[in-house]
Amino acid sequence: MSKRRYRKILAIVGAALAVVIAATTWFVNRKPGSPFDGVSASTSPSKALIERGRYVARLADCVACHSTPHGKPFAGGLEMSTPLGSIYTTNITPDKATGIGGYSLADFARALRHGVAGDGHRLYPAMPFPSYAKLDDADVRALYAYFMHAVRPQRQPDRKSDIAWPMNMRWPLALWSAVFTDGGTYQRNAAPAGVDATLWNRGAYIVQGPGHCGSCHTPRGAVMNEKAYDGSSRQYLAGALLDGWYAPSLRGDVNIGLGRWSQADIVRFLREGRNAHAVVYGSMTDAYNNSTQFMSDADLKAIAVYLKSLPGNPKQDGPPWQYQDTPNPALGSGAHPQAAGARLYLAKCGFCHGRDGRGQGTWIPPLAGSVASMSRHDASAINITLNGSTHIVAQGVPDGYRMPAFRHQLSDRDVAEVLSFIRTSWGNRGGSVKPQDVKKLRQRTNPASSDVIILQMR
Amino acid sequence: MELHINGKTYSVQSEGDTPLLWVIRDELGLTGTKYGCGIAQCGACSVLVDGEVMRSCVTPVEGVKGRNITTIEGVEEDPIGQRVVAAWVEHQVPQCGYCQSGQVMAATSLLKQTPQPSEAQIAASMTNLCRCGTYNAISAAVQDLAGGGPSAAAEKARMQAATAANGRGMRS
Ligand code: FES
Ligand code: FES
Repeated sequence: MSKRRYRKILAIVGAALAVVIAATTWFVNRKPGSPFDGVSASTSPSKALIERGRYVARLADCVACHSTPHGKPFAGGLEMSTPLGSIYTTNITPDKATGIGGYSLADFARALRHGVAGDGHRLYPAMPFPSYAKLDDADVRALYAYFMHAVRPQRQPDRKSDIAWPMNMRWPLALWSAVFTDGGTYQRNAAPAGVDATLWNRGAYIVQGPGHCGSCHTPRGAVMNEKAYDGSSRQYLAGALLDGWYAPSLRGDVNIGLGRWSQADIVRFLREGRNAHAVVYGSMTDAYNNSTQFMSDADLKAIAVYLKSLPGNPKQDGPPWQYQDTPNPALGSGAHPQAAGARLYLAKCGFCHGRDGRGQGTWIPPLAGSVASMSRHDASAINITLNGSTHIVAQGVPDGYRMPAFRHQLSDRDVAEVLSFIRTSWGNRGGSVKPQDVKKLRQRTNPASSDVIILQMR
Repeated sequence: MELHINGKTYSVQSEGDTPLLWVIRDELGLTGTKYGCGIAQCGACSVLVDGEVMRSCVTPVEGVKGRNITTIEGVEEDPIGQRVVAAWVEHQVPQCGYCQSGQVMAATSLLKQTPQPSEAQIAASMTNLCRCGTYNAISAAVQDLAGGGPSAAAEKARMQAATAANGRGMRS
């Protein structure tokens, strides 16, 4: 190659590179447009608008992440983990200096829907903006009115993330967003045949948008992206392992999903925290305590209608569970089982969950046929046994029945034995549990350990 | 809601999700059944439902409507319950006594289902906690009732020897 030609190629490649760099720089630093640009929000919004916003904040469960257990509501500070290190949620009270008091409506909408903060920096997708992108303009406006006029400002500076340079640079997140979010607000779709379209669309809007159910229930890809954001994919809400829990499928899967639940069961679960199939536990307790119990009956019905329209995947889910007394013999009265797992079951579990594993009404959940007993993932079964459940607070009243923590009573082997018994009894097909898996989760859920799980999602 | 307790029918006002323990103790005033932990861990609240031991602190009352409930107040109307109480006296089982109504109910249930339990079956079934550590005496009493194992006989002999020696026996 002649020297001249070489230089020419170099010049062209260089120019092209410069254009790419300039374009990328522009792209990652630009503030995406907002329909609210130049629109000024009312300085004295109506009471109705504020109340609407309060309700949307419940739908979106903002408080669960933007507060700490003993902190002020919405002042942030909750530690959340990312693959790169811990980050801390931010102050979203209307404090001018440390919160979002200086945000215009357009700034607010950009943060909510596009993950771009008021000063232009990119938010980590621990903030579920790919879901919130679907919020409609009316809800965004209401939410803004609520935060600006009904939330008490708190002076609490945001805490810096633990992520070190260069991984703490935020601009690459713009590329992440461009690849993994589809951006637009929720668009009305045709409902499946025979289903009330208004209800179905309202349900889809809440589930995909503010409710951000997929943050926990949709499996994630290699870079923490949710594999789907709506029902067009079979992966959407198909169940996922996250933070030491298995979040069940919310699709029509009969064993690991909602296939056996009626619409009324779903409504009852979200309103009361319990039904004859299950009681909320794990991260869902927060979602229930702060969010779903406050939803209107009409919205709960809409959610149920939408979720019941998502088909299951029988290939993966297997034949429907049926109550059976095999392979483990029934523990009728007078039974004196030899196997350690069955003996432990009678001593530790049977008084509440029943000798037959069927639970007690809607108060104590069945273990026979439950997702934690049927799923091949044993994380939820192990986690709840070691750590118990937190209080379910319905309308201000804590429930009377709570799963105790057994981490100080049962060894890894004991937990493995009793869970193996449960997961292979009464027709359950979850399979046996290994002591080393109990050991791992015991360590990872011990707050004093050095590698305790920090929630990625709530 | 109607409850059948110790052969009587009571009509109760408590809500369906109320633990049976609180209905028995607070609404009906049958305070022989004790509260220990409230989470099915200690057994102080044990009662019989259709002859089988249940921990009443984790039993929503609506689930036992129409079933036969026996508490410590009524246990001696059951022939096996009567024998259990007698053995408890014989073996001088209780110390502070707080856990003992639950222990008696658990033993009665065991012997109703399995009249002659083995030592291992007794150990596996008598899982109620006792702060005072009366486990050996409980085990001896139940083994006695089960037809007498060697340890029951030994315990009896020890008790009799102690009674004879210090003359403080409760029974002559
Ligand atoms: S009070 Fe019911 S088991 Fe302890
Ligand atoms: S006798 Fe005192 S707790 Fe058992």
